[in-house]
Amino acid sequence: MRINELFSLSSLGFFWLPWVLLSWGLWGLSRKLRWEKRGLAWVPGARFFALGRSVEMPGDGAVYGVLEILFLVTRVLDLGAMSERVSVAMSLAMLVLLVTQLVYGIRLFLRLTLVFGVRRRWVWLWLLASWLPVCILAFGKRYQPREDLKLTEEWEAGTAPAPLAAAGRREEPGEEGLSVDLNERSVRDFGKKRYLLKDISLDIPNGSLVLLLGGSGSGKTTFINAVIGYEKADAKVTLNGADIYRDYDQVKYRIGFVPQQNLVRGNDTVIRTVTDAAQLRLPAELRRRERNTRVAEVMDLLGLSAGGEGLVAKKSGGQLRRISIAMELVTDPELFVLDEPDSGLDGVIAREIFEKLRAIADEGKIVIVITHTPDRVVDLFDKVIVLARDSGRVGRLAFYGTPQEAREFFGKDTMEGIVMSVNRKEEGGDGLGDECIERYARLTAAAQEGAAVS
Amino acid sequence: MKETIRHKGRLAQTGIYLGKFLRMFIYQNDWKVLPMGAIIAAVVTFVVGANLFVTQEGTLTGSFALVCVCIWNGVFNSIQVVCRERDIVKREHRAGLHMSSYIAAHMIYQLLLCLAQTAITLLICRLTGVHIPERGVITPWGIVDLGITLLLVTYASDMLALMVSCMVRTTTAAMTVMPFLLIFQLVFSGSFFSLEGFAAKLTNLTISHWGLDGVCAIGRYNEQPMVMLWNTIFKFKDVEVLGKKPLLDLIVMAENNGYRDQFLLWSGAQNQNAAYAATAENLLRHWGVLALMAAVFAVVAVTALKFIDRDKR
Repeated sequence: MRINELFSLSSLGFFWLPWVLLSWGLWGLSRKLRWEKRGLAWVPGARFFALGRSVEMPGDGAVYGVLEILFLVTRVLDLGAMSERVSVAMSLAMLVLLVTQLVYGIRLFLRLTLVFGVRRRWVWLWLLASWLPVCILAFGKRYQPREDLKLTEEWEAGTAPAPLAAAGRREEPGEEGLSVDLNERSVRDFGKKRYLLKDISLDIPNGSLVLLLGGSGSGKTTFINAVIGYEKADAKVTLNGADIYRDYDQVKYRIGFVPQQNLVRGNDTVIRTVTDAAQLRLPAELRRRERNTRVAEVMDLLGLSAGGEGLVAKKSGGQLRRISIAMELVTDPELFVLDEPDSGLDGVIAREIFEKLRAIADEGKIVIVITHTPDRVVDLFDKVIVLARDSGRVGRLAFYGTPQEAREFFGKDTMEGIVMSVNRKEEGGDGLGDECIERYARLTAAAQEGAAVS
Repeated sequence: MKETIRHKGRLAQTGIYLGKFLRMFIYQNDWKVLPMGAIIAAVVTFVVGANLFVTQEGTLTGSFALVCVCIWNGVFNSIQVVCRERDIVKREHRAGLHMSSYIAAHMIYQLLLCLAQTAITLLICRLTGVHIPERGVITPWGIVDLGITLLLVTYASDMLALMVSCMVRTTTAAMTVMPFLLIFQLVFSGSFFSLEGFAAKLTNLTISHWGLDGVCAIGRYNEQPMVMLWNTIFKFKDVEVLGKKPLLDLIVMAENNGYRDQFLLWSGAQNQNAAYAATAENLLRHWGVLALMAAVFAVVAVTALKFIDRDKR
């Protein structure tokens, strides 16, 4: 056992003294970076977690913290090792940990240089003696964190929704169509509750083709995942009277979701791809003839019959999208959701796909579509849902109504203009998210009151 | 609430996916693993085949090479099969796919692939003149015993790689892990590197260890002549002791009187290894461990895939 080495002169010089100096430096930094608990600077592991949070790199900070603890543990085990073999193993582990720590340490320190606006070459100083640049940044009066980076704002994004009135909540969900009553959808992110969506209530009647609009990060995909029950929210979602969350295992077969990417195996024929999808999704008792008829119908509807025996990999982008749609449509879903079905397609083919979707909706289905180029096909839609991020960076309902009503509500001629109006100014938008959310909430409240009076 | 509708169960889904994999075998060029395996087997048997199942040293080296071919084949068969279509599997899981069915279909498909590869390896052994034992340890035919052992080694390796493919999210990660798997199998086979203590115990976890022992048992390692001692003596034949060359005298005497083969068999008898005992009980134990490994890897694969929905967007 060499445990006494921990308290030797060399240990003091090469281990304990740098450790204390680094802790002291972090303690100084904690004031400038406004840590909630400054004492954490002296706690192994926790101090780097706190540092990571304060410079908006919680993941890297947490990893570095864990590595620091593991390194300390292996160091003690190494010194206390009863056999040379264990000692060698511990030394090897320490080497691996050191290399990993080095990588994460550089990442953290590079972020510190950005926060304090110093040159990146300071990282060499960090590599030589990590405590030295930390102490300089901590106690040098000329070094102050840059306020313009808005790191705190980014870290706080979604943690506290803006105090806005909620869009009208319904007393009772409708029996027909899709009814969404979403209170909130949140996640836990390194101990912090982060709201992704809040207060979204709407009813979509059967036979509607609905456009889902919103800027980047407004929560469109999160909303879709919550609606189809794939990622559960604090919500009640019913589809023609069936509770999607409660009866998910059954209701999921009544929902079709076409993801953004063409997630289809390239090395199978088109007909077999759609047939296999039908076998997986359609009721087991359906006869083979009926199933094949359904497959043929869908292939016909989407214009895939001609090259049905060809390999999926040989098909064009538009055909791939249609195959992906066919795989879901073959079950004749009551709710059909498509995430950017026109992505990467030219205008003519995109229009063709949306016309097919219009035809599907006309059969009494609900079709919800996310698209970033809505104006070329907006005439086909019955309704528009507009999601916007409030000033707390939480996705909310900014509008739900017909395309014409949307144009009047936002005072814009185009759907893309509507998206720009609710986007934040930093993103090149008009920054009217909060205003539109509140205005729409008032509008729905007034409509509900009117309905109650009448 | 509408009445409960029954959908395809696990067994039916396994059939759907097995059909898909078999079609993709043709379309996706998966068949290329068969000629590739044949080439590897041919190269290996060309190098080590002459003394395989002839002498103890040749059997050990050749068996190890043969087992390495099987491990290589197995790992390459499936290291990328799941991770390369992970997003597709995630989509299908969302649509009602049971992960156990998906893995079961892979297990059956991979078993067929491993069977074909084993048959090809045995055929190559025959064509290159390897002395495959006539008499088996469990079955009456040595080639059947050998085939089953090689199949189990290939299949267990295949399942190991399938497990890795289910655990990682990208093909890059899978190909990064693969060399470590192969090196572990090589170093901890328990025959070529001197291992003690904990490291020696680790050999029990490798497919190569159980496969090698099994093949050596079928080759009746313990009944074979050992040539290393004779060769060592031969190397030192010119050493003089008190003006004479006693080792050369010994060699000449043994050669002239036909004692050499007896000597080789005698030295082989002194070099017994219980793990290579040509008994049904011993070989069955090795087969059992290999089958158990394959089963454990498959269970872990299913468990890992069940968490696929947690993949971040």
